[in-house]
Amino acid sequence: MAMKRRDFLKVSVGASGGLVVSLALPGCAGIQTGYQPETGEWRPDAWLELTPNDEVFFTLARVEMGQGTYTGLTTLIAEELEIKPERITPRFAPVAPEYRNPLYKLQLTGGSTSVATSWEPLRMAGAEARLMLVMAAARVWNLEAAECHASEGRVLHPNGIDSMAYGKLVELAAKEVVRGDIALKPREQWKYIGKQQGRLDARAKSTGTAVYGIDVELPDMVYGVIARSPRHGGRVAGFNGDEVRAMTGVLEVFETERGVAVVADKYWRARKAQEALNVGWDFSEALSVSTDDVFESYRTAADEDPGESERSEGSFERAVEGAERVLEAEYVQPYLAHATLEPMNATAWYRGDRMEVWAPTQAPDLGRIAVARVTDLGPDDVTINTTFLGGGFGRRLTQDYIEEAAAVAYRLRRPVKVIWSREEDTRHDLYRPAMLHRMRASLSGGELTGWHHQIVGPQILDWYVRNAAPAQYPWAPRFMYDTLGKVGLMAEGIATPKDMSAIEGGIEYPYQVDNIDIRHTHTDPGVPVTWWRSVGYSHNGFAVETFMDELAHESGEDPYQFRRRLVSSEPRHLEVLDRAAHLANWTAPAPQGRARGIALFRSFGTYVAQVVEAGIENGAIRVYKVACAVDCGQVVNPRIVEDQIEGGILFGLTAALYGEITLESGRVQQSNFHDYQLMRQYERPDVLVAIVDSTEAPTGVGEPGVPPVIPALGNALFALTGKRQRSLPLTADA
Amino acid sequence: MALRLTVNGVQHSLDVEGDTPLLWVIRDELGLKGTKFGCGAGLCGACTVHLNGQPVRSCSTPVEMAAGGQVQTIEGLGGGDQLHALQQAWIEQGVPQCGYCQSGQIMSAAHLLASNPAPSRDDIVAAMTGNLCRCGTYSRILAAVESVAAGSSNSQEV
Repeated sequence: MAMKRRDFLKVSVGASGGLVVSLALPGCAGIQTGYQPETGEWRPDAWLELTPNDEVFFTLARVEMGQGTYTGLTTLIAEELEIKPERITPRFAPVAPEYRNPLYKLQLTGGSTSVATSWEPLRMAGAEARLMLVMAAARVWNLEAAECHASEGRVLHPNGIDSMAYGKLVELAAKEVVRGDIALKPREQWKYIGKQQGRLDARAKSTGTAVYGIDVELPDMVYGVIARSPRHGGRVAGFNGDEVRAMTGVLEVFETERGVAVVADKYWRARKAQEALNVGWDFSEALSVSTDDVFESYRTAADEDPGESERSEGSFERAVEGAERVLEAEYVQPYLAHATLEPMNATAWYRGDRMEVWAPTQAPDLGRIAVARVTDLGPDDVTINTTFLGGGFGRRLTQDYIEEAAAVAYRLRRPVKVIWSREEDTRHDLYRPAMLHRMRASLSGGELTGWHHQIVGPQILDWYVRNAAPAQYPWAPRFMYDTLGKVGLMAEGIATPKDMSAIEGGIEYPYQVDNIDIRHTHTDPGVPVTWWRSVGYSHNGFAVETFMDELAHESGEDPYQFRRRLVSSEPRHLEVLDRAAHLANWTAPAPQGRARGIALFRSFGTYVAQVVEAGIENGAIRVYKVACAVDCGQVVNPRIVEDQIEGGILFGLTAALYGEITLESGRVQQSNFHDYQLMRQYERPDVLVAIVDSTEAPTGVGEPGVPPVIPALGNALFALTGKRQRSLPLTADA
Repeated sequence: MALRLTVNGVQHSLDVEGDTPLLWVIRDELGLKGTKFGCGAGLCGACTVHLNGQPVRSCSTPVEMAAGGQVQTIEGLGGGDQLHALQQAWIEQGVPQCGYCQSGQIMSAAHLLASNPAPSRDDIVAAMTGNLCRCGTYSRILAAVESVAAGSSNSQEV
């Protein structure tokens, strides 16, 4: 065990008289936040609170955006606390240092890290509380603690008759002192971890009662919409404010950092007023590129700059000199929007010395920074209330929508909800970067002897430090934010010592090749970018696994066997590859008019292999089946793993079939689901997911389903048509 | 001018502009937040409600078109504290991920089963194709609808 219990668990008596278990993660003690626990029963720094009324509250420090933290993390607590998960009430965490993600030192949910980082601390918290309850019961019964045990929310007397509910014991238990370390339950005694269970949020989400950001309702609330520059970076030159202000229900029309805000008593009145608004834009500093320019600039950069070496083994140059054949290919991948079904929105209320925000955010402490940036408040004057998220996929790591709502609320001094239209959500997204990949490989005597991969495009942290850096320095005055944004994370090396966003999945190339040269040519055309479900793995997966397929074909070898031979010393890769091939019945011919493609890809520590069976029907690509094997270490909830992997597959297929954001002279061309399409029910393939039974530490599942399915589909289409597609989205008539 | 609307059996007299989409009347005037805004253009189905027994996209239905009509939303689908069989199936199958589209999905499925108690798989797919799910819960949705459909052999399967 990496962490000793005493390093991070704190136990205290709650205001309710109950038992409160808190975690103080190492490294957080020195951070000065000015943060004050609120009064009353609510203990903001508590992870677990048991009350005399037999309630159990668990503070969920990783947001619920569909990926299942609400259920999965609660299950970890429940297992050691010896209580059914459904008896525990999760509540969304406020901003506090205790809830930061230890990998990022920020309170954010992303990178498929929630279960991995919570696996030990949450079980420890549950175990400590259980032990204290057992000790308290033993004291009442005048027994040794070892004679009693806990089950289903009660401590049981060894006589087999008497028992006490946790609620009756919590006041006594809070006085118990646990010495030494606590042994966690061995795997074979688990009741909930690894077992089939429903989702704890399913009922609220099936009855319309789950509260998302857009559902927040406050007294005397008004509604804001913002007309933003159609080209990123454009500034307001003028607008017909008087005319719009005279419209029914309109309260305010004013310029903000990103455009012109219209506030009205009702949402629809704000929208109608926005339609009547004419904004003149100053585009002198605005984005002017078109998508074609972006790829041309990438090609120029790639020609001029071989890029920073990210991994080098042997000598690729020598491999090429001695090679029988050298293959080259260039892969082109577009900008992609997140398209969360709940559009961006936030609700804010400014009351003189404090701002309170309700928002569906993946990074609440960065939300406080966003508010501080546009007001004269400090981060400590800001309260962020996190709601359920109607999808995240990385979009809600950037707090621009909170910043806007805060700026409007600061002016209005009353509760205001700012809602983006779908068109605004699509056009003012921060995108998965468009990327160019240049691949070269050498073949000799039927062997792959050299691998060269040049990744060309921007990296994401350049776009994020502005948001994130001030959170590392809560004492810093606002005028320093821009400076911190430029040097903060880099200088301290705190959040990420190195930005992996462009190269992840490229540098972990798993195949046994003697000569490897992997490089990143950093070039940024100025189009806003951010994390997008599976991030760099999403584009590196397509490049690596498509080129591997090309090499297999050139070698005259079966693409499954080709990969298999080259990962023969990597048991976890090998196992998922074999299982996916078996599940898809790889060796049997595909049905008439269909073909199969395979891909193998590890991301976020999780091993995934997929076989896609596809065809072309009525001039359109049709995906019939996806067979998937996944090794994510110990499984907490098998059903959620299946769902996340299947959801990732559909997310990847949507990108492969439809995903493309294009720009024309700086303007995003797509706007709504007619021209930025998502897969629909009638396109749903049959998805089979096999999960490797593993005792390894758990790794994430929210993202790893995405990357391999894109090349697997492309490879299937090659097998079907004999034509190789090297750009996305894929087409039926290539 | 006051506009009359019956929502989940309760009659309302509303003072709203006639071109206001039914969605915003349901959500902001009546406070029923279960019906969601997704696209504003009838493309995603998150705002699906029943108007006089027919599924409509409330984001692109002006409230004046619903005047005098009967509207049913996700909140009125079950009977009081009772869940509709589809809601029960949604919970048992663990359908929702982010959950944002699910009210609309359930309303579409409820209309299907009300008009066709024993739909084929193709009928279900056709009826549900107008409802987008970004999380990719389509197979669980299909299984949940099939488990409720009349004559289903797997109605007890969880």
